Amino acid sequence: MALPHLRGRVAWVFDEDDFDIDLIIGVRNIKITDLDELARLAMGDREPGFAATVQRGDLLVGGRNFGYGHPHYPAMRAMRHLGIAGVVAESFSPGFFRGEISMGFPLVTCPGILGLAARGDVLEVEWAAAEVRHPASSRALPLQPLADSERQTLEAGGLLPYLKARRSRAQGVHS
Amino acid sequence: MTEKILARASGRPHVRPGDEVEARPDFVISYDFPGYTDVFFREARELGVERVQDPKRFVLFIDHMVPAATPKEEELHRGTRAWGADQGVPVHERKGIGHQVSAELGYATPGAFVVHFDGHVSQLGAFGTYAFGARKGVLEAYVSETMAIRVPPTVKIVLTGTLRPGVMARDVFHHLVRVMGPASCAFKAVELAGPVIDAMSIEGRQTICGQAMFLGANTMLIAPDARTLEWLQGRAQLDLAPVHPDADAVYERVVTVDVSALEPIVVVPPSPANTRDLSEHVGLEVHAGYLGSCASGRLEDLRAAAEVLRGRQIKPGFQLHVVPTSQAIMAQAAREGLIATLVEAGAFISSPTCDYCYGRIATMADGQRAVSTGTLNTPGRMGSVDSEIYLCNAAVVAASAIEGRIADPRPYLGAA
Repeated sequence: MALPHLRGRVAWVFDEDDFDIDLIIGVRNIKITDLDELARLAMGDREPGFAATVQRGDLLVGGRNFGYGHPHYPAMRAMRHLGIAGVVAESFSPGFFRGEISMGFPLVTCPGILGLAARGDVLEVEWAAAEVRHPASSRALPLQPLADSERQTLEAGGLLPYLKARRSRAQGVHS
Repeated sequence: MTEKILARASGRPHVRPGDEVEARPDFVISYDFPGYTDVFFREARELGVERVQDPKRFVLFIDHMVPAATPKEEELHRGTRAWGADQGVPVHERKGIGHQVSAELGYATPGAFVVHFDGHVSQLGAFGTYAFGARKGVLEAYVSETMAIRVPPTVKIVLTGTLRPGVMARDVFHHLVRVMGPASCAFKAVELAGPVIDAMSIEGRQTICGQAMFLGANTMLIAPDARTLEWLQGRAQLDLAPVHPDADAVYERVVTVDVSALEPIVVVPPSPANTRDLSEHVGLEVHAGYLGSCASGRLEDLRAAAEVLRGRQIKPGFQLHVVPTSQAIMAQAAREGLIATLVEAGAFISSPTCDYCYGRIATMADGQRAVSTGTLNTPGRMGSVDSEIYLCNAAVVAASAIEGRIADPRPYLGAA
């Protein structure tokens, strides 16, 4: 299996440090489970109509400690539903990082990314070369490699399919 | 300490930061919450795991949505009780906030490796336990005996000096966020030491360790001392040799913070990264106060509030909610007369529950502002997104309740 190929436009740049991702849908909407509704609400406080600007495969760019606070899952559920394929950030808050990797959502730690990419630019994540490329300027920045278990979780599409595959392998060995 | 604990849990002679290991949690702790435990139970079944391995390693708390306010909430609790009974996993309800009750029940064994989905479990580190919040990753512990984790580097924080009167553990933690930065310990374990910690109560240590996530840390630990071992007497669930740092332990970084000049702080909205001196915000009108949560609401917090409020009245119209963190704490507070003092001053006292911390009850309307010892001050955390939360210590909540404005408690302390 391979890590999901990421090449897409930057749909939004969250340039602030310690960004609380709950603000993407608004804390008031955190209990909503309907994906269409969540997706419609995404970024409503910042740019109404944001949903219509997103293309499948687009990426988000974040600043330092992206996902700080008590991150809840609906914000990135909404983003995935819109077609966002991953987040490239200066750094992530650990709780957010673990939680979204478990969901099978690629997060790419890439110090310097805020200086490289603007909204609308195309970024490409080259996992094998461990770098994030910015084709328009032919520049690239190194990304921080994932732990083995994180990589395997992403390759499988999330923790549940990862554990499923691991269990069936283990049972195969024993039988 | 972290390396020793994770080496034992992964059956290796030693581990180093960066190593990826399969570690067997000594305890897997959860509270029931929609989207977490109900999903773990279902997904474990989907994965063909009918029974968890060694059910005594597991424990469930019912501390959110207590008491239930809708049939759906009670249905969740019923499902949790049934799952626990079926699996042989203990379910504790109405005993208090799980992170505190886990300590009271001895799951905070020094040297143990504990996982939860909620990161505030790091407060078990006050007892020398490596307690880690893995969010949805905890599913792995439900279906497999071990969890894949990467051994974190350790940052040692040495607290020196002496705390001034009226400055509490809560102030110390948020001061660390201020001087070190909210991502300063990202993906690391923090070991907390120094004369301030040596002199600090177990409750104060729990308060600091429980907020580790707001420094970015995986968890925070304090080496057990005589105070810890005395507290744990007759409680520990496991017979483990307590783990202490070696004299020549290697840390990624050692940070020394002198707290002698520290004044009470407030953490201003919208983020727990925003520590400020209380003095900058004294006088700001507030409408509600919350004293409770897994981060505060213990006896020393209740004692401080009672000292401020003894013989005084809270401002008419101000809503002061006091929620002791556990039943054991509430009973002791009653024995000490603290409950009577607080009630006579006009406080609304609730039995232990997590529900005030996240606005499920005592919900604020637009334009209202609270002082709170809860964990978080994100907009909407305690009601309307147009309400505001100022985090502070318990004495500040009490003093602000008297004045209806953010107030310095020190003139009230010892003055009654």
